[in-house]
Amino acid sequence: MTDYRCRGVVRLLAVAALALLPPVAQAGRPVFEIEIRGHLFHPSELVVPANTKVKLIVYNRDPTPEEFESYELNREKIIMGGQRAIVFIGPLTQGEYPFFGEFNPKTAQGKIIAQ
Amino acid sequence: MLLTSVIIILREVLEAALLLSILLAMSHLLHLRLRWFYIALAAGAAGSVAYGMQLAAISDAFDGVGQELLNAALQIAIYLLLLVIAPLLVVNYYTGERYRGILSAAMTVAVATAVLREGSEVFIYLSAFRYSPQPWSGVLTGALLGAGIGFSVGALFYYLLVGMPRRRALLVTCVLLTLAAGGMVLQATQLLIQADWLPAQVPLWNSSVLVAEGSLTGQMMYALVGYEATPTSFQVIIYSASVATMALLLLLTRYHQKKIRTVRDVSQAR
Repeated sequence: MTDYRCRGVVRLLAVAALALLPPVAQAGRPVFEIEIRGHLFHPSELVVPANTKVKLIVYNRDPTPEEFESYELNREKIIMGGQRAIVFIGPLTQGEYPFFGEFNPKTAQGKIIAQ
Repeated sequence: MLLTSVIIILREVLEAALLLSILLAMSHLLHLRLRWFYIALAAGAAGSVAYGMQLAAISDAFDGVGQELLNAALQIAIYLLLLVIAPLLVVNYYTGERYRGILSAAMTVAVATAVLREGSEVFIYLSAFRYSPQPWSGVLTGALLGAGIGFSVGALFYYLLVGMPRRRALLVTCVLLTLAAGGMVLQATQLLIQADWLPAQVPLWNSSVLVAEGSLTGQMMYALVGYEATPTSFQVIIYSASVATMALLLLLTRYHQKKIRTVRDVSQAR
């Protein structure tokens, strides 16, 4: 697909999405940060408020790429080495939501605790 | 390392392989030449590398959600192409060889897009081992195993479809394409929610007790129909609407084509 057509689709989506967004969606969201170092998440447990959409920033301090993934949160995003990724999560009902690094699942494990 | 790479490659290959085998079976059903498929694979592979190498820049675009937006756009593009492909299959089935250029072109772009989407992840995963002091062999063995299993499942699926009587093959292919198309849109909405471009809601239900997304069944259903254990009401509506649009389009095409064929048969009989 050409870049031009791609941008067209994105623009179309943008218009459709903006029409659907409730006005509150533009308001600032609580921000939380996680780091990936040595294929581990720091912190590996993160407490977030329940029933609130939050902005999660994941810093990948490793030189290798990682994929932030969680079936429970329905999230999946590749983070290249040395990059940061923004992932919006929630609103979550109270409970624990495991996540993992798909490229290094043996060590990169963590969970979000909504309370 | 070995097992991880088997699982990652298998997942990605499976997601693309099922759509590929449905379209390949369709191509067989209509006696299309296979050239379109080889072009699609080559384009998809080249696209995977280009996408993988540009991912850092893509991710940073649009306030850090460029990756989600581009992937969602790719999924929606595949959906739109399937809206063209499936009705043309019905046209070709009922009233002979028509619009075959458009059909081949649409299938080429759809397969190339699907390969690009999944292939780029494989490329990024494997490229990480450039930095690794460990030998490549475990990772590569795993990757080959994963790809082997994934393509075998695709081949099995292809031969199941091709082995069916023509009439049933048409029906099954149309049903599969309709559900796969719905799955594409569902995945796109998921990405747009992740990017905060669509409103997030509390899930309507949680069927992970029945079929967990991480399980083998869950992964197969995800690859085939975009299975989602905890969809929001918005996603259920969008999925239903996408599936209904495709189904309606197919039924209308079939009705129309049958009428043309009847008229033609009657005039030939005279």
